[in-house]
Amino acid sequence: MREISVIFRRELKSYFLSPIAYVFGVLFLGVLLYLATQRQIVDGQQASMQAFFGLLPVVFLFFLPGLTMRLWAEERRSGTIELLMTFPVRIGHLISGKFFAALAFLAVLLLFTIGLPVTLATYGSLDWAPVLGAYVASLLLAGAYLAVGMFWSSLTRDQIVALLLSLVSLLLLYAFGFPVVAEWIAGFLPTWAVDLLGGISPYKYFESIARGVFDTRDIVYYLCFCGFFLHANALVLNNRRLKG
Amino acid sequence: MIEVERLRKDYGMAHALKGISFRVQRGEVIGFLGPNGAGKSTTMKILTCFLLPTSGRATVDGFDVVEHSLKVRSRIGYLPESTPLYGEMRVDDYLRFCAEIRGVPILKRGVAIDRAVELCGLRRVTGKNIVELSKGYRQRVGLAQAIVHEPEVLILDEPTSGLDPNQIIEVRHLIERLGQEHTVILSTHYLQEVEKSASRVIVIHQGEIVADDTRDNLVASMPASVITVHVRAPLEALQRQFHELLPGRKVVIETLADDSLRLRVEVGTGTAPLEESIARLVVKNNWSLLELLRERPSLEDVFRKLTMPPTAANNDAAAAGTGEVARA
Repeated sequence: MREISVIFRRELKSYFLSPIAYVFGVLFLGVLLYLATQRQIVDGQQASMQAFFGLLPVVFLFFLPGLTMRLWAEERRSGTIELLMTFPVRIGHLISGKFFAALAFLAVLLLFTIGLPVTLATYGSLDWAPVLGAYVASLLLAGAYLAVGMFWSSLTRDQIVALLLSLVSLLLLYAFGFPVVAEWIAGFLPTWAVDLLGGISPYKYFESIARGVFDTRDIVYYLCFCGFFLHANALVLNNRRLKG
Repeated sequence: MIEVERLRKDYGMAHALKGISFRVQRGEVIGFLGPNGAGKSTTMKILTCFLLPTSGRATVDGFDVVEHSLKVRSRIGYLPESTPLYGEMRVDDYLRFCAEIRGVPILKRGVAIDRAVELCGLRRVTGKNIVELSKGYRQRVGLAQAIVHEPEVLILDEPTSGLDPNQIIEVRHLIERLGQEHTVILSTHYLQEVEKSASRVIVIHQGEIVADDTRDNLVASMPASVITVHVRAPLEALQRQFHELLPGRKVVIETLADDSLRLRVEVGTGTAPLEESIARLVVKNNWSLLELLRERPSLEDVFRKLTMPPTAANNDAAAAGTGEVARA
């Protein structure tokens, strides 16, 4: 635990020390809030945050790869990975520390959007329970995206390559969740493959939680999804020790 | 303290280490010598558990680098080849991070960081960002992070590469000081570095250990030292006289621009001093002696002999071994 917390604090601090983080944060919030207010958020007497949370899967898609791209690629490019991996710390702890730092940075950004539901609550009646639930769901979704991005970052020493690979893979995963795409790929893929691809798309599982419906299966799905990619990340790092 | 047995490392088809073995006792300072790509860094990366060996065994303090990697890593301080550091961090923050992650207890942390800062002469720059530091200071930060947890073993990969001569001397002094308390393995191209501080030298070449001995023994193993005599004398008389004095020895005579002669005589390292009889010969003939000196083989010669490609080394030997008179 101590190791995770030391890595976590260093990574989180390094997010706040880099100017890119601020540019990223402002852009992220700007785009998110602009799009959210463009949509109708006050429907008659009932205020709702659904429009806002509905945007997150897409906005995350374009922004989160930017948060994870440097996590391993930069360590590899500058060689600091050699010191990091020779500290007496398990690989799983290194990965967890970095992963939770990225997630925490995102959580801080999301905290800035709290003004939106507060405003809504002031002018209309807002049911807070689904809103808080949706924030938790957003973190689960972000965790899934970050785990994918971090995995790609461990495969290259070039941040831009990591960025593009995560962007493309997240776009594909996202697309598989849509019936239109599912129908299209059904033309040349066997049914089980279509079901599998549709089944792993994180987007599908977000909808219901974002509405405030917490289903254990959805949560288990997100935990498995993150676990899968974080574990793959560890395999990549271990494999590199073998190959040199 | 460190035992390496038939250690192999292959990178794809390339064999970086071809089954090397050596032992390091507690408190020894070992100099790792070898040309670029010889396998020095690979050996160090395996000892620090950054890389896994293809086969063979390596243990540190009795713990296997593969099976008890965490125990090994906690006993080692490591400075990788290009001194990678987190540029955006402040020196003191960085050292605190290293002390924390290495598990230095919270109560001892301040003292440990202070000691590393003091030993490495970082007092003036603790508040600066690492990215602003000069190369010499960066190197010192690298050394400071390697010693902050007072490891039993220090592994330093080319700790002085890229530094200017003054910085090299500073870092070398620092390593000498560290060598008094730690077991040190350092790799280098600079032979002076191990001439002074290392108690033992391991020369590694193309993935194999070609020499493992004390510095003095290595130098003594060189077959010959050379005596150079610079005189003003008639050539024929000189040739005749020297053949009488040193029957069977190779004497290379060279005529210099001012008509003086320079002789090079190869003698074994163990032979009785010849300087006296040479001087006597010159005086007896009433020649003028301009210079008389014996070139002892240095570690550099040992290194060249052990690591030069065989053809080049042979040419070298052939050039030195001609008994003919050369006119410049």
